[in-house]
Amino acid sequence: MKTCLIVDDSRMIRRVAGRIVKDLGFETIEAVNGQDALDKCQLELPDAILVDWAMPIMDGFDFVKNLREMPRGDEPTVVFCTSVRDVSRIVEALAAGADEYIMKPFDSDIIESKFALAGLV
Amino acid sequence: MSSMPRQGALSLAPSYYDALRRLTLELAGINLGANHAFLVETRLARLAREEGYDSLDAMVDELFQTGGSRLAVQVVSALTERNTHFFKDQTAFKRLRDVVLPDLHHKRGGGRIRLLSFGCSSGQEPYGMAMLLHQMREELEGLKVDIVGVDYPSQALERAREGRYTHFEVQRGLPIRDLVEYFETDNADWVVKDHIKDQVEFRDIHLLSKLDTLDDFHAVMFCGSLPHYSAPARVRVLRGLSGLVKENGYLILGEGESLSQMNFGFDRVTKNSGLYKKREVIIEPEIDPTLKIPNGRTTFEKDRKKPQKLKTSKS
Repeated sequence: MKTCLIVDDSRMIRRVAGRIVKDLGFETIEAVNGQDALDKCQLELPDAILVDWAMPIMDGFDFVKNLREMPRGDEPTVVFCTSVRDVSRIVEALAAGADEYIMKPFDSDIIESKFALAGLV
Repeated sequence: MSSMPRQGALSLAPSYYDALRRLTLELAGINLGANHAFLVETRLARLAREEGYDSLDAMVDELFQTGGSRLAVQVVSALTERNTHFFKDQTAFKRLRDVVLPDLHHKRGGGRIRLLSFGCSSGQEPYGMAMLLHQMREELEGLKVDIVGVDYPSQALERAREGRYTHFEVQRGLPIRDLVEYFETDNADWVVKDHIKDQVEFRDIHLLSKLDTLDDFHAVMFCGSLPHYSAPARVRVLRGLSGLVKENGYLILGEGESLSQMNFGFDRVTKNSGLYKKREVIIEPEIDPTLKIPNGRTTFEKDRKKPQKLKTSKS
């Protein structure tokens, strides 16, 4: 089964997104910030990562930059899932190594569509 | 408010629901189906609110009591509006990208071609075509393309003309890189950039009409609607479309859709695909039966000489 790491400091978002991603056939792992996510990626790389931008300790942007510099860090498909809607920030996220980008609020159709565009389902 | 009996959580009387189904079949040739009561109510309640009626019942009462044609078209448009999103039929877009556009470019080189999105709803399909053309601009160098989107007059078509979409709409089917490249933000909405918008013209038209107000097209995309039409309406709409496609032009149907037994002047491009090519019409000269043929000849071809046997000389 494919694995998806859900990185968000909001427990509610992790729970809602986790349910949707499970329905798409993924096993989910959770992380509460970028550093926590990086630690989990060092143990085992997931197939997909759904990551928020603004988080304490390490934000999503720094996490993706660090992830892409790790050995085999280019392998997971990274989808940002954030309230940030500014075009220039989206461009920054793509340049840092994100594959797709979801703007909150989201629903199951959006996650499914973005996962399909990223070749995950 | 009407004192009609209630049906579960739905407010519309069953007799009205049946009348709406008949109206949609007559005007648009589309079978709503028996299990779409919730969809009917949701869409009509929104229309009733937008048109300033006190309730859904008040709007439907007026529709059937006064029989206003404008309201009838609005109601049918709301009921038949396709729930679409960007690049919804990926197979159809793949056919456009891999077969249709390269072939039209190869045959015509430069020049101008016309593409039609038939039943374009809120405009995602024709705008998707324009984005695809922009991405293929080097491959299709010299080819100028006009895109027309047609559908019944509706609020969806008005939104298409504006090119304005919610953040939910732009996140269905549209890759993030396309969103960044072809849209700009306007408050909470995303608006199609002018260079894409300028390539697309929207026209409201009755899809079952003669369609003679439209010019010919080199390719027509008609995806997702065909299965919803009644059998007579399907024949009518396909006959109309057949007249719109130029010779050697293309008809692109949706995933799993086909012309069935009838061909309407089209040949299937590859087996089991919804891609069709319009036949070239060979004009046979009419023969005047009163015309006398000299010497009983039926052809101007000279009598062929019989092959002569080679004489072999005895040595």
